[in-house]
Amino acid sequence: MTVSDLAAVPTGRSSAPAVRQFGTALRFALRNQTRNRLAALLLVGFVPTWYGLMQAMVGHQQLSFKLFATGRTLTVDGGELTLISAGLNALSLIVGFAVFDAIRRTLAFDRRLVFAGYRQPTLIGAKTLSITVISAGVALYAALVLLGFWRPSPAGWFAILAGYVVIALTYGAFGLLLGVLVKGDLEGFFLIIMGGLMDTFLQNPLGNPLANKPVLQWFPSFGPMQFAVAGSFGRVALWGHLALGLAWAAGFAVCGLIVFRLKTRTGRHTPHLGSGSQPPA
Amino acid sequence: MTAIVAAQGLHKSYGHHRVLNGTDLDVEPGQLVAVVGENGAGKSTLLKALAGTLKTDAGTVRLSGTLGYCPQEAVLSDNLTVGQHLRYFAAAYRLADLGRGEDLMERLGLAKFRDTSAGALSGGTRQKLNLVLALLHDPDVLLLDEPYQGFDWETYLRFWDLVGDLRARGKAIVLITHLVFEQDRFDVLADLVDGRLHLRDTTATVATTTLGVDDDRL
Repeated sequence: MTVSDLAAVPTGRSSAPAVRQFGTALRFALRNQTRNRLAALLLVGFVPTWYGLMQAMVGHQQLSFKLFATGRTLTVDGGELTLISAGLNALSLIVGFAVFDAIRRTLAFDRRLVFAGYRQPTLIGAKTLSITVISAGVALYAALVLLGFWRPSPAGWFAILAGYVVIALTYGAFGLLLGVLVKGDLEGFFLIIMGGLMDTFLQNPLGNPLANKPVLQWFPSFGPMQFAVAGSFGRVALWGHLALGLAWAAGFAVCGLIVFRLKTRTGRHTPHLGSGSQPPA
Repeated sequence: MTAIVAAQGLHKSYGHHRVLNGTDLDVEPGQLVAVVGENGAGKSTLLKALAGTLKTDAGTVRLSGTLGYCPQEAVLSDNLTVGQHLRYFAAAYRLADLGRGEDLMERLGLAKFRDTSAGALSGGTRQKLNLVLALLHDPDVLLLDEPYQGFDWETYLRFWDLVGDLRARGKAIVLITHLVFEQDRFDVLADLVDGRLHLRDTTATVATTTLGVDDDRL
């Protein structure tokens, strides 16, 4: 079946719809993703509590951490290493949860917007940018709170910040993918919590004897953890590992946006000028 | 007069359950058509097929002009206010201003909720917003699925005033309902039974006569 010839664009239409549509979609996507009270509460309360708890529990025992890019094994303060790991873990949960919730709740609404004439690429671009902005903002907050517990060198702090931004982007994109795939809240939250916990805690040699084994290279937080630890303890910038983390983010995002595009696709043709007299294709 | 909505031979099945079984429908400009049927008769399926949001197994739909579709369940974003919904859809429809949206809000008594989030609105008020979003771009064809569900009596009457204005300006309206209180409001009443439309009453110019087909076809 086809629906054809939605013609006769009414008068009074805006002359610059693409720019206006993008600005509107970005503003409202940001509003949607920042209206999650539970995520905000987690951000304000959970991040410092989690840092404090982990630092108090671990103390300052020495741990060996392997940098896979150089083959070096660093001997590091276990408490400080665990702070990095805890930050990655908190970000995976908070950003993943916030984006999942926002995307899932607005999927039918987005479909209606596309049906009404919103350009899908514009909507997708705005959502991608809003997730990037939210992820970067939350990562910056988590990196700033970290300074209340540990003062690494400026370069080391920036390395941690970069690792945080990448893990936030990765789990933001993961939340996007789950938001368009999973129907129920519980399934999505469970997948984010279990995925984030397993991923980030396996990277820390404190609780995992396998932390320095090659198998961990196949987890999303491997790249950001390697970059953050190398930068803050080894004074090395492992750009390839940061790129590996970004590749995970890009992979999740591309999969999620493809599904989003399919799920918001409608059979309705975009209104266009025409007589409306042609038979359906 | 040329039909502004022309549906022919629509078929749709969900598994072995046949919902639409060769449904035909023609609607002319200015005509108000009610599709009536029991729960589960396939009314919403028919409207989705007409709107193009549901792919049918067979059949064609031809629409001329702009389309407004009001789904049965209010599809809104709970975190956005009423005013923000209007701005979002004005961007979707590429409207230069919100003049018509303001007018619709006033007429349906929605203006006082301009700064209220959709999530905090009552069911009837959500339905008003749902309807305003479908009417915002002043479409030539309106597909309304149970549009006055949850309306109070005053809003119900205002709704019919609005429909009267739309018809007077040549807008075609297909309205789905499972209960028809006032049959004389409609030009055409059609019962959806066993996947086909059966004409109940024709008090206005109906495509049936001009097209020379049987009563299954409107």
